[in-house]
Amino acid sequence: MDAILELQHLSKRYGDHVAVDDLSFAVPQASIFGLLGPNGAGKTTTIRMVMRIIASDSGTVLLNGEPVDDDRRRIIGYLPEERGLYKKMKVLEHLVYLGTIRGLRPGEAKKRASAWLERFELDEWATHKVEDLSKGMQQKLQLIGTILHRPPLLILDEPFSGLDPINTRQIKDLLLEMVAEGVTVVLSTHVLPQVDELCTSICLINRARPILYGSLDEIRADYGGNTWRVNSGIEVNDLGALPGVISVHPLRKDLLVELENGYEPRELLRRLLECGHVETFTRFVPDLENIFIRAVEEDHDHAE
Amino acid sequence: MLSRIFAVIRREYLERVRTKAFWISTLVVPFFLGAVMILPAYLAARGGGEFRVAVLDLSGRFFDPIRDEVDRLLSGDDEKLTVTLVRQNPGTDPRATRERLKNEVQNKNFEGVLVIPATMPDEGQPEYVAPNVAAFKLLNVLERSVNSVMVADRLTGAGLDPDQVRELTHRVGLKTLKLGKGGEETRDQGQSFMLAYVFMMIIYVTVLMYGIYVMRGVLEEKSSHVIEVIISTVKPFELMLGKILGIGAVGLTQFLIWAALMAAISAPGAAAAVGISGIELPAVPAQLLVFFVVYFVLGFLLYGTLYAGIGAAFDTEQEAQNFQGIVTMFLIVPLVLMMQILNQPDGTLSVVLSLIPFFTPMLMFLRMTLAPVPIWQVAASVVLMVGAILACTWIVAKIYRVGILMHGSKPKLKDLARWVKEA
Repeated sequence: MDAILELQHLSKRYGDHVAVDDLSFAVPQASIFGLLGPNGAGKTTTIRMVMRIIASDSGTVLLNGEPVDDDRRRIIGYLPEERGLYKKMKVLEHLVYLGTIRGLRPGEAKKRASAWLERFELDEWATHKVEDLSKGMQQKLQLIGTILHRPPLLILDEPFSGLDPINTRQIKDLLLEMVAEGVTVVLSTHVLPQVDELCTSICLINRARPILYGSLDEIRADYGGNTWRVNSGIEVNDLGALPGVISVHPLRKDLLVELENGYEPRELLRRLLECGHVETFTRFVPDLENIFIRAVEEDHDHAE
Repeated sequence: MLSRIFAVIRREYLERVRTKAFWISTLVVPFFLGAVMILPAYLAARGGGEFRVAVLDLSGRFFDPIRDEVDRLLSGDDEKLTVTLVRQNPGTDPRATRERLKNEVQNKNFEGVLVIPATMPDEGQPEYVAPNVAAFKLLNVLERSVNSVMVADRLTGAGLDPDQVRELTHRVGLKTLKLGKGGEETRDQGQSFMLAYVFMMIIYVTVLMYGIYVMRGVLEEKSSHVIEVIISTVKPFELMLGKILGIGAVGLTQFLIWAALMAAISAPGAAAAVGISGIELPAVPAQLLVFFVVYFVLGFLLYGTLYAGIGAAFDTEQEAQNFQGIVTMFLIVPLVLMMQILNQPDGTLSVVLSLIPFFTPMLMFLRMTLAPVPIWQVAASVVLMVGAILACTWIVAKIYRVGILMHGSKPKLKDLARWVKEA
């Protein structure tokens, strides 16, 4: 069993409103999994059901192959989208509190919290009240609280919102470092470049249902299809007349050439070389934003 | 599970005990309390001492009987009050003499001047002129003496024999004794009422104050959004319980400090050191202190739970106001009913009211301070309260679970009922 977290047919309704509808996915171990979707798609509801903060109407959540319960859920480090800390508490004491309610002994929690504060250059704030910290610092504090008990699975809801590029880099490095050590991360976000950069697989939810799910490479290949990015001396019309070509679109200085399914790209390259020199000939990889928008739009068209 | 609840309790407790507000309220309250308890004792005690009173008897025949009556009254008194009456010659101008005597009072030669008009006993009124007209004991003695002398004079004037008059007008007075459980009698001059009142007020104020702390704590967790992080590891019920217990422990700590302060003041020599010697603090029976703590704890658990539910259901204190008012009203009703209990601590109505869990902490405690309460009633009140606490906890836990994640629309009573049903 290499999925650390698995959702099976999870559903939740609020009266007439369907928040999550028959959602299933599995998160492979030691990777970053992107949970994507427009606002109101059901991401937060899904995560809350995984965390047992709200009860699901039907379906199962498995952690390491076993149904989640109040004890097992403690292997998850959870950073909710709506962050909050006790404003009047002192920084170090707050971290120790978050550690102890997750089962750490106070002494151990204090030791780890101090080390983290040092790493994030917050150690001089240890005895200040939380409310004295800037928003970015509070955000880092919250993240430290999430990972203090060394959970093998992290569920982070928009972990980079409100962070400057330097802090964002710092957190990304930390996440990659943890993944290298075997930690699994579920990242809920709409910032797609970050997904591109960090995630190996994703699940895209729209209107309570999953519409795209799988490894990012496969999804890209699917959406890219048999499309090639070409830069050669040949004109658009001449290219369009070649066998196997469906369409040709300019993309900056290059041309995007869509071939019939199953048509060998090598055949096209051979013809191009016969006509003159070829500067670029690569598979076109659509960026995630295009895929995201196309998938959501197709889903809406489908529904109408 | 226990270690998590303990962590919650610990946080709630330490975060509050460390605030300035806690220490201010802990130190200011005993000050007022001390004033309330010590003042009557102090006033009673200031009746003692030696007083010289000038008597300007314009009738010329009442000085001796009044002096005899004063001596007779004081001879039976155990308190150290001596009153020396000094006869003054009216001279040719009584008005001038009165002015001169006033000056002598100002110069502290006399405590005051007693003026008996010449027309007495038929007309007029005796006067007592003094800078301090609040020396109750002295005034009491003077007034009683003058009165009985005048009454006796009128009666002998009507033809009665002076000895007969003395016998007939003999005052009986009223000696107040408090009957204890074991049948013992103790002298009581209002202290037991004072004590009952003060202790009941402490229960009222602390239950209200700490109950509202619970509500504010829940509201704070909601509005700061910290709640979601916490309940992803701690069950909502554990969090609620931990909060209530932690805040309750703060209350008990406060009592402990107060008890220590009281013990320090009552210690022999301590009172003299702070300059309030000669004052007897009303003794507080240990049994009463135990029940004070028991009823505070039960009352706080009941009301604290209700306030927790209100905190969870609403987003701001303002929105919570209506429901908070309803709960607070249950706390105020006993104060309104207090008179009923005071008049008839053992009456049927008193017994019934004091067994209603919402009123028990104050009313049952009040009854206990006034008169012995049968054991079965005490036991029944505790059992009923525990039952009420469990029932409220069961309902509130459901409201709490749903409410802490709700933001936005202000719920109505029927929404709360739905939450209880669905949760």
